[in-house]
Amino acid sequence: MLLLFGSNTSEAHPIIANRIKKAVKSGLKMIVIDPRKIDMTKVAHRHLQLNVGSDIALINAFIRIIISEGLYDASFIQQFTNDFDELKNRVERYTPEYASEITGITPEDIISTAREYAEAGNGMIAYTLGITEHHCGVNNVFDIGNLALLTGNIGKKGTGIMPLRGQNNVQGAGDMGCLPNQLPGAKSLTDDAYRLRFETEWGVGINPIAGDTQTRTFDKIESGEIKALYVIGENPLLADVHMNHTAKMLKKLDVLIVQDIFMTETAEMADVVLPARSWGEVDGTYTNTDRRVQRVRQAVEAHPNVKEDWEILCEISTRMGFEMNYEHSEQIWNEIRKLAKEMYGGISYDRLEKEYSLHYPCPTEDHPGTFILHERFHQEAEESFVKAPFVPVDYTAPLELPDEQYPFILTTGRRYESYNTHSQTRYYASGVKLKQTEETVDMHPEDAERLGIENGEVVSVKSRRGELQVKTKITDQVVPGLVFMSFHWSEVPTNVLTINEYDPISGTAEFKACAVSISRIKNPEESMPQ
Amino acid sequence: MGEPNFIKTVCGYCGTGCGLILEVENNRIMKIRGDKEAPVNKGQTCVKGAFAYEYVHSEKRLHTPLIRKAGQLVETSWEEAYQFVADKLGIIKKTWGANAISMFACARTTNESNYVTQKFMRGAIGSNNIDGCNRT
Repeated sequence: MLLLFGSNTSEAHPIIANRIKKAVKSGLKMIVIDPRKIDMTKVAHRHLQLNVGSDIALINAFIRIIISEGLYDASFIQQFTNDFDELKNRVERYTPEYASEITGITPEDIISTAREYAEAGNGMIAYTLGITEHHCGVNNVFDIGNLALLTGNIGKKGTGIMPLRGQNNVQGAGDMGCLPNQLPGAKSLTDDAYRLRFETEWGVGINPIAGDTQTRTFDKIESGEIKALYVIGENPLLADVHMNHTAKMLKKLDVLIVQDIFMTETAEMADVVLPARSWGEVDGTYTNTDRRVQRVRQAVEAHPNVKEDWEILCEISTRMGFEMNYEHSEQIWNEIRKLAKEMYGGISYDRLEKEYSLHYPCPTEDHPGTFILHERFHQEAEESFVKAPFVPVDYTAPLELPDEQYPFILTTGRRYESYNTHSQTRYYASGVKLKQTEETVDMHPEDAERLGIENGEVVSVKSRRGELQVKTKITDQVVPGLVFMSFHWSEVPTNVLTINEYDPISGTAEFKACAVSISRIKNPEESMPQ
Repeated sequence: MGEPNFIKTVCGYCGTGCGLILEVENNRIMKIRGDKEAPVNKGQTCVKGAFAYEYVHSEKRLHTPLIRKAGQLVETSWEEAYQFVADKLGIIKKTWGANAISMFACARTTNESNYVTQKFMRGAIGSNNIDGCNRT
């Protein structure tokens, strides 16, 4: 049994989608929970087409049903968890009828899904940015955790919670400590003994106070506290919410340094642009979505005047008086293995050569790697066992709801052939036929008919923050009142529309919901942007 | 014409981590296929992984450091670019403190480069202002 939550798997993770579809053929029951009728629904046992951002109302209703019908794993809860009573009290008002009002899903479908997940024996939940890119993204994840713990669906084969991660090394970047509160090995900066390990190796004191998230950085640029920004291989101008505000903030900086492979829209604004090597030209490791460390190998020689990211940083660091020198990526990896030894100690380049991939944690050379996390939940609890607390949460509506002036909800995501801000997927091998080569606003036939809009017509889309013009795609993938756009094309910068509201804990922005209006353009020829 | 080389590597697009085999001839990627030995994809690829690789060889790649002079980004040497960044960050750190500097790290680059990125921020700058889309 698989609950697929807020994941357009066949477009964003095509190979994982293939594997899920294969599993469905051999008997896996999959329920898709998504506001759009995405491709995965074709092979789903059921599609719960919920209203955007209503996930917690739905999950709390699942939890309430599972508790009231006694379908939870009582001995698991007693042995391994805390705060069950708090959870029970918190979900009390989420009756199937109440959840139905919020989510738009029938009480019957809510009840059946809850029963099927609880009674499946093995239940797994996979989710993507449809869960996290909300003002309540962290609460959404907590509630998924509550549901899995309630039924003991964690720490054994065929169960668990799997966030499907969107970029080749997005997992690794966080694991390596590119987060304001975390050191390499994904340990907290505030752990004195762990921090000391790095201080000793590096010969420098490390500030023990967590830094700022990306979204908070923009607030601090606005207040004048942050003066310099160094951006590596990201295009925040196009990729971040509320583009007009982002542009204003980038302009306000004393210095903007951009290190990239192309002249991105963000690089155009920089004071210095540093040309980096790309995939195919670099050597090292990536960590995939299921903690699998694998070797990426250099295939071609880069232009002689471009450099690897780490090489550029070492040069600047040394000039600033903090010397860093490495000969090759393996030397860096071995420093990581030495310091974050609990996670990577046993993952040598030699082993990766022979074994292809290894899952961390892998502390020693004779350790096989950890394919399944949290197995301790099914072993005899030792005295040192830290119980997992339930974290009860409440539903909160998207921060900007439709009204008379802006009657549609806009939700955003990816399309199959394109990738993020399109700096790479502009360059396909010749002869490949692409389905979608420009942005569209995807809207329901009923809405299009009501507004007199034809398929392919260029319309104006407006939010409180910005406005753009885009072709219409009429499709029943969305429901009336909901429109969808991706953020791939700089010609149609969707994030001019999105809202700069963030999850207070993660700092992740609410890319998945804002209010927009859609109107016909009277003289399209005259008003098309130059 | 050189003989083709076959390089085993991992895809640079989404987080699935598909193993690929790159056919390389005269320092150009000519073709990509899924690696049958790869545990994740067992030989399969998607359209991006198999065909969206021409960017590596694009004429539009950045090939030289650029620096803004009189409002325009103009070509410069690595030496000047390095020194400009080091001096500028040094002055900002001295005047406003280490926390006046922030880094957006890269979810596309290797673990090794990401490790060096955070070491740079924590060691050379002295700030934990380092983040990226990896938080999502």
